[in-house]
Amino acid sequence: MKRQELAHTDCGEIAKTLLLVAVLLVTATSLGADDSSVQVQLDTRKTGPRAVENQTEQAIRRDYGFAWASLAKALEFNTIDPLQGSFVGTAMKRLTDTVASQRSAGLSSRYGRQSHNLQAVFYAPEGDVIELHDTAEFQLQVMDGGKVVHEEHAVRHYVVLMTPGADHWIIRQLQAVSQF
Amino acid sequence: MPWLTSTVRVSPNVRRAQLVCLAVILCLGELCPGQGLKVPASVTAGDETIIPTTGSGKAIFYLWGPGVSSKSEISLGQEVHLHSRDLRNAGDYLAIVCSAVCRSSAFYVRAGKPAYLNFLVHPSRVPVAQGDAVSGVVLPFDEFHNLVPDVATVNFRLAAGSSSAGSPRAQMQDGVAWFRTTSGRSAGKLQVVATLDSLSSTRIVQQVASDPCNLRIKGERTPKSVVVETEPVHDCSGNPVPDGTIVTFSVTGAGGKSTVDAPIKQGIASAKIQASGSLVISAASGTVMGNELHVGGQP
Repeated sequence: MKRQELAHTDCGEIAKTLLLVAVLLVTATSLGADDSSVQVQLDTRKTGPRAVENQTEQAIRRDYGFAWASLAKALEFNTIDPLQGSFVGTAMKRLTDTVASQRSAGLSSRYGRQSHNLQAVFYAPEGDVIELHDTAEFQLQVMDGGKVVHEEHAVRHYVVLMTPGADHWIIRQLQAVSQF
Repeated sequence: MPWLTSTVRVSPNVRRAQLVCLAVILCLGELCPGQGLKVPASVTAGDETIIPTTGSGKAIFYLWGPGVSSKSEISLGQEVHLHSRDLRNAGDYLAIVCSAVCRSSAFYVRAGKPAYLNFLVHPSRVPVAQGDAVSGVVLPFDEFHNLVPDVATVNFRLAAGSSSAGSPRAQMQDGVAWFRTTSGRSAGKLQVVATLDSLSSTRIVQQVASDPCNLRIKGERTPKSVVVETEPVHDCSGNPVPDGTIVTFSVTGAGGKSTVDAPIKQGIASAKIQASGSLVISAASGTVMGNELHVGGQP
């Protein structure tokens, strides 16, 4: 009888502990994983013909992450304001068109928990253009009004062209490809 | 799934029915979003395509991709026609069909054939005979401004006047072609042409004389001064140095040292130096020194 009581007590304690651990995990996840955060890693070891200086590498990583955070805002709230300064040319045109068509169709999209693994594959001799390969992971939601019509943990490959602006790097081309 | 492996004896038909039920439950739970939508494996930018659907009744069809978001009502069991205007931008697209549940499939639109070359050449003006001084980068795009990343070969050709100045070897790297080469030996226009199949793009680089070479001066004493001038100033390849280039004459005499700057005019720089007594005059332009000229005092 005592053994049974003991067993019940142990089970109860274990259940409480598990519940506590679960609550802590959920809390930690919700606090730590900011949905709008963008993680960017950049590998420049195989870049050529021009070597990427350390300061340039940091600037590209910073500006690329900022651009994707801006993209996420623009497509979630259907406004092009966040795109200004981070995108130009074809990349800007396509994002502007996406915002306009989403607004027209009553859709929006959300890019959460972004992680970008960049590889610089070409840096022009004069430093006026850099080509990056981005293996991006994010939680993608497409919404019609308040209804989620598509949700996935997406893994996408992007070919990216960036050029230097006055004080930061700008995305000119952002094109998804099936593989590198 | 313990109920499928339990020791309770069930007939194969019952087990098959259990599996079907499980699949249906999973699909209703949207764990198999691609079911019922058969999208093309890949589409070329600007092409049309169709997406067949299964089932019956009305549904909402969404197309979501780069630059495109649309929503339309469709009849299940019929094909959804995607127009070329909706598929101009290379990238990843989602086809989503919603009736009781939403199902989606992803497909890629790839770039079409190259239609133009984005050709960047540096610099626009370059001194002659400089190593690795001229470089060019080619990025091929299709008619819808999609980058064409799988181009194999781009040829480069350089010409100065009517003569060839070389065909630098194209370096291909992830769809980008580039070259770097030494500037030519003659001042004038350098034509740089990039060719990809029937496409070509031309840029002009202005080659200018390099620093003066063998700067030589001569002088003549007059009653109150010394008139000094250079011989025609050329670079080491024999190109006349442009007018306006500054030559600095340095004069050392009993009164100390002084300098006079004079621009080259019609290939020659000259200066009139007010001084008496013995003088040592030298000339320099940029980093190049000329000869020294010793001028005796006026008797």
